Amino acid sequence: MKGQRFSCPVLVVQGLVISLLVLGCGLNAFAQEATTTEDTRLFDTAKIWIFLAVILYSATVVYCIYHARSGKELFIRRIPGLEAVDEAIGRATEMGRSIMYILGLGGVSNVATIASMNILSQVAQKTADYETPLRVPCNDPIVMNVVQEMVKTAYLNEGRPDAYNEENIFFLTESQFAYAAGVDGMMVREKPAAVFLQGTFFAESLILAETGNSIGAIQIAGTDKEHQLPFFIAACDYTLIGEELFAASAYLSREPMLLGSLKGQDYGKVMIFGAIVIGVILELFGITWMTTFFQRVR
Amino acid sequence: MRRQVPLILCFAFGIIMALTEFSPHPISQWLNEEIIDWALVIGPFALVLAVATLVQSHWTRIRRRSEYWQYSFLVFIGMAAMVLIGIPGGQRHEAFVWLFRYVQVPMDATMFSLLAFFIASAAYRAFRARTLEATLLLAAALIVMIGNAPVGDLIWNTIMPFQDNFPSTARQWILDNPNLSARRGIILGISLGVISQSIRIILGIERSYLGGVEGD
Repeated sequence: MKGQRFSCPVLVVQGLVISLLVLGCGLNAFAQEATTTEDTRLFDTAKIWIFLAVILYSATVVYCIYHARSGKELFIRRIPGLEAVDEAIGRATEMGRSIMYILGLGGVSNVATIASMNILSQVAQKTADYETPLRVPCNDPIVMNVVQEMVKTAYLNEGRPDAYNEENIFFLTESQFAYAAGVDGMMVREKPAAVFLQGTFFAESLILAETGNSIGAIQIAGTDKEHQLPFFIAACDYTLIGEELFAASAYLSREPMLLGSLKGQDYGKVMIFGAIVIGVILELFGITWMTTFFQRVR
Repeated sequence: MRRQVPLILCFAFGIIMALTEFSPHPISQWLNEEIIDWALVIGPFALVLAVATLVQSHWTRIRRRSEYWQYSFLVFIGMAAMVLIGIPGGQRHEAFVWLFRYVQVPMDATMFSLLAFFIASAAYRAFRARTLEATLLLAAALIVMIGNAPVGDLIWNTIMPFQDNFPSTARQWILDNPNLSARRGIILGISLGVISQSIRIILGIERSYLGGVEGD
């Protein structure tokens, strides 16, 4: 496929134009329907506590992000799964084999997929440097288009546009198990030295991870689906657990503002931990208002 | 402009969608549903491009006589069959339903059934009692497995005449206490990570998904 066909901004603008057309028709339809709707409150007061919690947490994260701009050294705990990214890329380069990056089954609006794409961007910069082939089989057409553009720009930023091969980022299928079969087949045939499984995974997680294990690839996995984590832990060399997937971009890029947001995340955890400890102590003394309060929050 | 437009759109739509979650007003709800519909509209356009890359890559394999190039014909045969029957006949066409029910579903089921063997091999590696943690895992797994099988309670009640149905009670305790506590801890971490990531994207601090390095 020669040249750039559809870039991310083009997709966005295309979506906007279509959206405006739909909006025009929709507003007309809405004007006729609005009179029959009952709940006209601007704010759902039942969600006030959730709203305040989101505001408080967001304010903490934003404060930490802007505080990080002062240039102070931030302590971020070591994440073995992310430390191993360089090792995996280096191993593939030394062995002269490819790297396979699997983004999972999530769409482009899925936060885990975006987190995965951020990691991919960092990986692509390194593979551009080392000239290691990077294979990305995609399950979602929009994700494929965004990823093609993203990896291309990463190669351009590294001054290696010639090393970019658009055919390495391709659409396989939208069907869950057909995708698993396709990726498994490629793993067995091509024997990549490193396999990244980052994003949203369902029942296919272990099928992919065990196949990767059987070919001896170094595997780094991470998902937002907590049900799939045990499978990855059993079959992969490193697994990003919980928020580590979302911390990866900041951790790998070492950008101060992004690292600041990780600090905000930690403060959020401290707040929740504090609430749990206080709740447990109060319960032990027979004071139940805190438990009752959290049970009522929705 | 190439960067600013997507960032501005991202900021505006991110804030709007977040606010619509807290407002039951009809305009807010309508806006929420409408924006989700817009996203769906983009899908088919991207699908055309995706199918084009699929055709392109398999055509290249055939042209270059790459390894196992013959299998690429199967992709074209399958695609052509579904399109030629599905478009004129519709989703309920007898042949289309037959292909789905007796070709696609069994193949999906075959892949899914492989999971049983993969679980066995992964469990064998994970539960080898080499460390204290692995031994605890093994013990917990054995209790849960025995508790899940009805015969587990039967054997226990026959051999041990006290503490009826102990395996299923122990299994439930493991699932409700240590298991659920760990899961909730992970869920809390994921939720905080999602909010934090969303803030970074909405504020335009995280922009690697646009193809660039942060902060540029």
